[in-house]
Amino acid sequence: MAIEKRSVTRFELLMDAGFGAQKSGDILLSAFVAMGKYVYVEPMIPAEISPLPRSKPALSGVIIRLADFDITNIGNNSDLTIAAHEIILSRRLDDGEYNPQGIFLLDTGDREKNPESYEAVLKRCAKDGLNVITFDMDEASKAILQSIGGKGQNIFYLGMLSYIYNMDEDIVKNEIEKTFGKKLKPDVMEKNIGLYHNGYQLAKGLDLLRYQIDSTPREGDKILIDGNTALSLGVIDAGFKLFSGYPITPASSVMHTLARELPAYGGHVHQAEDEIAAIGAAIGAYFGGTPSITATSGPGLSLKQEFIGFAQAAEIPIVILDVQRGGPSTGMPTKTEQSDLLAAAFGSHGDHTKIVISVANVIDCFYAPHVARYLTEKLRLPVFIMSDFQTANSYKVISKPRLVQLNNVNDIPDFVLERFHLKRLPENIEMVLTLQSIPGTPGGMRRVTGLTTDIQGHVSTFSKASQRSHEVRNEKLHHVQRALTAPEIFGADTNDLLIVGWGSTRGAIEEAVGLAQKQGLKVSGLHLRIVYPLPLMLKEVLSRFKKVMSVEVAYGDALKPSPLALLLRSEALVDIQPLMAQATGRPVRPKVIVERVKEVLK
Amino acid sequence: MTTPNNASPACATEITLKDLNTENPRWCPGCGDFGILNALKHFIVERQLKPESIVNVSGIGCSGRAPNYLNTYGVHSIHGRAITVATGLSLTRPDLSVFIHSGDGDSMSIGGNHLVHGINKNFNCVFLMYDNEIYALTKNQTSPTTRKDHPTSTQPFGSVLNALNPLTVALGLGASFVASTADWMPDHLGNTIKAAYDHPGFAFVHICQRCVHFDPTNFDLKSSSWYTFLKHANGIAPDNRLASKTETLEHDPADIVTAFKFAGAERRYFGLFYQDKNKPRYDEALRGITAKATKKDRSTLLDPYLI
Ligand code: SF4
Repeated sequence: MAIEKRSVTRFELLMDAGFGAQKSGDILLSAFVAMGKYVYVEPMIPAEISPLPRSKPALSGVIIRLADFDITNIGNNSDLTIAAHEIILSRRLDDGEYNPQGIFLLDTGDREKNPESYEAVLKRCAKDGLNVITFDMDEASKAILQSIGGKGQNIFYLGMLSYIYNMDEDIVKNEIEKTFGKKLKPDVMEKNIGLYHNGYQLAKGLDLLRYQIDSTPREGDKILIDGNTALSLGVIDAGFKLFSGYPITPASSVMHTLARELPAYGGHVHQAEDEIAAIGAAIGAYFGGTPSITATSGPGLSLKQEFIGFAQAAEIPIVILDVQRGGPSTGMPTKTEQSDLLAAAFGSHGDHTKIVISVANVIDCFYAPHVARYLTEKLRLPVFIMSDFQTANSYKVISKPRLVQLNNVNDIPDFVLERFHLKRLPENIEMVLTLQSIPGTPGGMRRVTGLTTDIQGHVSTFSKASQRSHEVRNEKLHHVQRALTAPEIFGADTNDLLIVGWGSTRGAIEEAVGLAQKQGLKVSGLHLRIVYPLPLMLKEVLSRFKKVMSVEVAYGDALKPSPLALLLRSEALVDIQPLMAQATGRPVRPKVIVERVKEVLK
Repeated sequence: MTTPNNASPACATEITLKDLNTENPRWCPGCGDFGILNALKHFIVERQLKPESIVNVSGIGCSGRAPNYLNTYGVHSIHGRAITVATGLSLTRPDLSVFIHSGDGDSMSIGGNHLVHGINKNFNCVFLMYDNEIYALTKNQTSPTTRKDHPTSTQPFGSVLNALNPLTVALGLGASFVASTADWMPDHLGNTIKAAYDHPGFAFVHICQRCVHFDPTNFDLKSSSWYTFLKHANGIAPDNRLASKTETLEHDPADIVTAFKFAGAERRYFGLFYQDKNKPRYDEALRGITAKATKKDRSTLLDPYLI
């Protein structure tokens, strides 16, 4: 059948956990990149290790957005879906992220296990007018599968996708060998390649529409990296020497990467007995002069709060990475959300003097640790790096970031600060305690405490000492406010509507504004990287727009503003409503933003 | 990280007790905490430890204030978490001497989990447990080590549980050093601190501490017949003033079975219960991993990710 040329398309592969969907995703990604395409990958990971196969919770899949230009987000709807069985197909249909004109390839190998269930799902698709093509693996492939222990459908599907996306077979086979080569015996490898070929032939036989995405020659060095890996390497480049953590999804992979890498750069990874101990050890080490970072997600953030408050009072630097996931409570460990914003900015008891940096993409992930270390050491206040499940797990090809190899924070390059819309802080910033020497410094002996103290560090409950401590800590925060430059704006500087977001929604907002402008909609976008404190000119910036609305992956409704909307309302006195405040666990989609913008501007 | 230049110059002369003073401690007159503070000061002077190389770390409670009264480095941290702060320091700054000051509520109740893992990790520090068997700073509530039937402000009809025994807990957790002493026996307390300081690993020192304000009759200082000193060539010498007034018993600190017997007995025993100098140390192990790692240069950090 004909090959259709596309500038951008999206597809997904849905399988049961444990059958290698993620591996197929990795191979596809590497192969597409080797062929010169731009790719953005979002894995769909179950919350359990081995959920019951053929059940909705078993879904393990991969969404791949493919383009001939640089893409910033996972996009809108999938044009093509391969599903290993009807149950996971119907689960994904519930999410509503498909192109109604798209193609659904449903493997009917499991049909006899539950024919009624298959019929029901097919009926549902027919009712919605969806184009479902069923297929069954050929007998030879089934025999191969049986001979290698029943797992290998992922490679078969890889073959199908290779045909559909007109991939260079040699490149894909090369990537298969790179991925499995060392682990598989030569005869098993040969059988896998057989499955790949058979999948390719089957797709050919189905006479499917094929897609062609042009290759773009890349200039300069490129790297392929996901958010959490970029962050881990950023931690090393920023000169941190201790990572102290406790296992928690989706932050753990940072600890895994650093456990392998950090010792080679002279650092340590400490797996603490709990979340509290993890930040306690990092604070202890930073008091000793060792740049230290802790990482957490969801419940771990709640547990760390008391120590975060302590670090403010005791003026001990500390960086906390929060890879946000669905909440409240245990919530959805493997789904994305941006609902920790207020807990980060205002979480611990008493007054709050913290800085909250967010990351919008993998390059931000690499440089956020540098900025966080700069701010925490200059101000001796806790600094948050806010990532989320989506950013942490998305893979992307980026130009190789310029290395900084930071030792002394005063040497942080301007381009890193500018990326986060920040100017250099003043040289001499007043501390609550004048003496800030590190242990080992003769004559510099000093004690720190969570109790209120006077300027010498003596415990004091006198009114003047308390008020002064608050003023000094808050003045540190004001230094950041004054150092913040105007936030990033997409589109015109003044307009009918402004949509604002922070962290991982940047790509979707930027793309949505571009799409909306093409349709003549009078909308601009604004994105915040440092989200607390906020820049001083923010009120003036927001006042240039007739209406301001937020886009957040966090719950909000007409009676309860979502976190960013709440923060901006209080800081800028602007009536900001959520344009989109969804807590579905799924990233926001540019086209959905555009639809909402249209409704609002009607 | 950078060190501000506002530290005063080092004094090259001998360290005296006076050098270790900061402000007058705000403990009740007669509190056992004074005895512990003084013993530690004497130890620092006797060994001529550099005050700048010492970090006292504490949690919350009357004991938590101790670091504020010693002119060394100090972190008065949050309730129950001193061990966590000390872990980070001990791991990254093996050149420093780390003392932890923690009460019975701080270490056996809110901080119990960290005590378990501090002992298990066996990182290098001296752990001083100020056991006054009561929550004092919060005003007389039952603690895990409060004796049964003793009335408190939260259990006015008498504490309902049997006291948790810190010594058997520590031994049961596999502590590499377990000693017990009391605030009112400066010689024994001093010798115990010495032995603990010289021990490589987590040295668990249990100290019977008088809370004269809330429980003045808990420890009978007029008589010595209610306790026994343990002695051994590898142990801690019985108190020079009190040894003659009560019994002393030979106990080999390598003998874990007898250690449990003494630790769990109704009677109080003071001395070194158990010591194992060869128990693996977490801080050493992690530094070993770093030392053994093939060094990489940050200039090639991203090269493995190139496509
Ligand atoms: S309340 Fe008890 S423990 Fe606290 S300072 Fe007074 S005597 Fe000492």
